[in-house]
Amino acid sequence: MSALTRPWNNLTLVGKVILPLLFLVLVVGPIVTVLAAVYVAPLVVDILASNLGIVRFVVAITAILLFSIPAAFIIIYMELKVIAYMNTRVGPNRVGPGGSLHSVVAGLKVLLKEDFTPTSADAIVFTWAPVFVFLTAVMTFLVLPFGPGLYAQDLNIGLLYLFAVGGMTVVGLLIAGWSSFNKYSLLGGLRSAAQVVSYEIPLTLSVVGLILLAGTMSLNQIAENQSGGFWNWYVFRQPLGALIFFIAATAEANRTPFDLTEADSEIVAGFATEYSGMRFGFLFFAEYVNVFIISGLLTTLFFGAWNAPVPFPHIELSLDPGSLGIMLLILLAVVPLILTLLFALPFWLTQSRMPGWQALILGFLAFNVVAVGAVLGLAYVGFDWFAGLVWFMIKSFLFVFLFVWMRGTLPRVRIDHLMGFAWKWLLPASLLNLFITAIAIVVLKSTVIP
Amino acid sequence: MAHVDAGHGPADIAFPVDLEDLVTGIWYVVGFVFAGTLFVFGTIGAAWLLSHRSKGDAHKGYPYESGIDTFGDTHARFGISFYIYALMFVAFDIEVVFIYLWALVFQDLLVGGLVSMLIFVGILLFGLAYAWRKGVLTWR
Repeated sequence: MSALTRPWNNLTLVGKVILPLLFLVLVVGPIVTVLAAVYVAPLVVDILASNLGIVRFVVAITAILLFSIPAAFIIIYMELKVIAYMNTRVGPNRVGPGGSLHSVVAGLKVLLKEDFTPTSADAIVFTWAPVFVFLTAVMTFLVLPFGPGLYAQDLNIGLLYLFAVGGMTVVGLLIAGWSSFNKYSLLGGLRSAAQVVSYEIPLTLSVVGLILLAGTMSLNQIAENQSGGFWNWYVFRQPLGALIFFIAATAEANRTPFDLTEADSEIVAGFATEYSGMRFGFLFFAEYVNVFIISGLLTTLFFGAWNAPVPFPHIELSLDPGSLGIMLLILLAVVPLILTLLFALPFWLTQSRMPGWQALILGFLAFNVVAVGAVLGLAYVGFDWFAGLVWFMIKSFLFVFLFVWMRGTLPRVRIDHLMGFAWKWLLPASLLNLFITAIAIVVLKSTVIP
Repeated sequence: MAHVDAGHGPADIAFPVDLEDLVTGIWYVVGFVFAGTLFVFGTIGAAWLLSHRSKGDAHKGYPYESGIDTFGDTHARFGISFYIYALMFVAFDIEVVFIYLWALVFQDLLVGGLVSMLIFVGILLFGLAYAWRKGVLTWR
């Protein structure tokens, strides 16, 4: 007995806590997992299978909410790095390879910062404002088709829903500015209200021409209408509409030539002046989610959504791994080994100073790259939705790059120019676009079809 | 189309919109609002638990005005232009809702629809021209 008690007494308090926990995880955990897999899993699968609608709902909502996090992190990193290179700086390069984890760490830092409410602020409204701003940004994802069949919900009033939800952002910004009890916040909130409200009109009117052509407001349908090559994209039939949408969407998301709402040289940080900690984090987060959303919308509405620029011949893969039988197992065991040795061979042969184990590690890495590439290539060829997702992401992030580029290049406009431009130029131009499209449709319909 | 198989809608009635689909869509929106709120408050709550908090002195709770104590009412007076733009927005945004529905069925209306929309937008453009003439669109 004493043989066991002595080492136990030697442990520190932390060790006394960790050791039983380790025992629980290593011994009890697997047993419970196996039991659950045998007895509970079929029951759960049955319940899930009979409520597929609810399962789909939960999966879709979770996927969207979780997708917004890496999307924002990638955009923040892009903004830091791309603008740095445009300014001939290096940018973040400490955390992760090339500083790629910088934005993740920044996000974690925000999580650990003190979340302070000023004494005079209206605490409840002050807390709800970032929730509102973030929700209205993320809710737009609900109708965005990421690929063929990859959408949370294909609302038949998709476009209307989109602008209705997008327009609600202004309420969040306004109450954020009002509840902070700060002159800068108030001015920032009012500025953003005036700006977002003014650009909402050309934004919504610029896509009417598109609705006229498509005859539907469902984003999924609009995406399908543009299939079959880049000459079918709506940007070629609605160039003016696309341009107006681009400008107005930039203003809606408070991006750089129109970032008067958080003009740091004039009104500190606008409506976000009094915010700190995670509530500020959400205001910040929503801004970058908005950047992705306007890029995704530009892609979906005018640049062919998830369609490849040139139609790719779809190949039916007649792969049936089950038909190989026991050979499949042998293949899975042998192929990685052979390929690893094969890839290691050139390193081992050419680099005479390199020890054998290093060559093997390099070969293993090379094999992994090739394997992942092969799997992704197979998925691209075999699955519609994967190819669609790839093209959607490529196009969207090209637009994100464009917005970052604009931030690195353009100066801020003056507020009188900003407001005048929306009402005196963009609004008449979008109405002109609408009527040109309508007249073109009338003429085409009455001449082509007798 | 995504269907939730909880079908208890009047399937016999010839309704132009797929009623079940519409209801599903609304539930998605409502559920998303709920889940999103939960997500945000969960994160804010986690941050509240993780972060350090200190009361500080009285100055900590003051509005931030670049280091100087605030002077006068923080809900300061602001320009009337903001209000006028909001009014204009309401007029034009309601117009947009009508135009959207018109655009949806335009393929069947053609010339008649075009003429009526020209009249409708013409009236609104007259309003815009009036506001322009009055100098509302010029920021002051």
